Amino acid sequence: MKVTIKSIWNTVSAWHWDVNEECCGICRMAFDGCCVDCKIPGDDCPPVWGVCNHAFHMHCILKWLNANELQQCPMCRSEWRFKSDEK
Amino acid sequence: MTSRYAKRLQKELLDLKTNPPPCISITEGDNLDKWVIAVDGTEGSIYQGEHFKLQFKFSSGYPLDSPEVIFIGTPPIHPHIYSNGHICLSILYDNWSPALTVSSVCLSILSMLSGCTEKIRPTDDSKYVSRVLNKSPKEVRWMFHDDTV
Repeated sequence: MKVTIKSIWNTVSAWHWDVNEECCGICRMAFDGCCVDCKIPGDDCPPVWGVCNHAFHMHCILKWLNANELQQCPMCRSEWRFKSDEK
Repeated sequence: MTSRYAKRLQKELLDLKTNPPPCISITEGDNLDKWVIAVDGTEGSIYQGEHFKLQFKFSSGYPLDSPEVIFIGTPPIHPHIYSNGHICLSILYDNWSPALTVSSVCLSILSMLSGCTEKIRPTDDSKYVSRVLNKSPKEVRWMFHDDTV
């Protein structure tokens, strides 16, 4: 079978996290970027949600919770619990 | 400062310089460790026409660690502000949150001033000042009991 290539397609794709806010309230870096300790945006530096629906970089909120006795959301001060079902 | 969070401070600095909240302006912010912010008494408050200076010091742990905030120069006469410039305000100590910013802290202090109706020093001012000497207010155990001003 003879195949003639008529044109060459360029494929382009983009991704972004499905977060309402643009940046993390702790480090103020974009969710589509990464936290201050990471180099590569994406699955290794995801946003996480609390039951209060506030989102932070997973690494940022863990650092905050580990440094504090009170387990509170930095935004609304309600008790921080991770939202279990992925958004 | 070699903090990994230096970028956040740089953003806050730029924001304060280009888009300062009313009655607040940054006067010294050349390095990221220590800023001086001019605060003007708001119109209609008992501090109208008075000018104060707040000093912010940031540790490398900021914003997980709260900044050290004190009045320098002549502090306002207020029931929660000691004559050495220390401020009894819970968000600066136990109730700090990394979602707070320099700008929001300044606004809280400004609203603390604006809500005040009588210029008096804290009742334990001289006792406190002689006890803490040159300690940082962050090393003091604060009791927060009055949220009316």
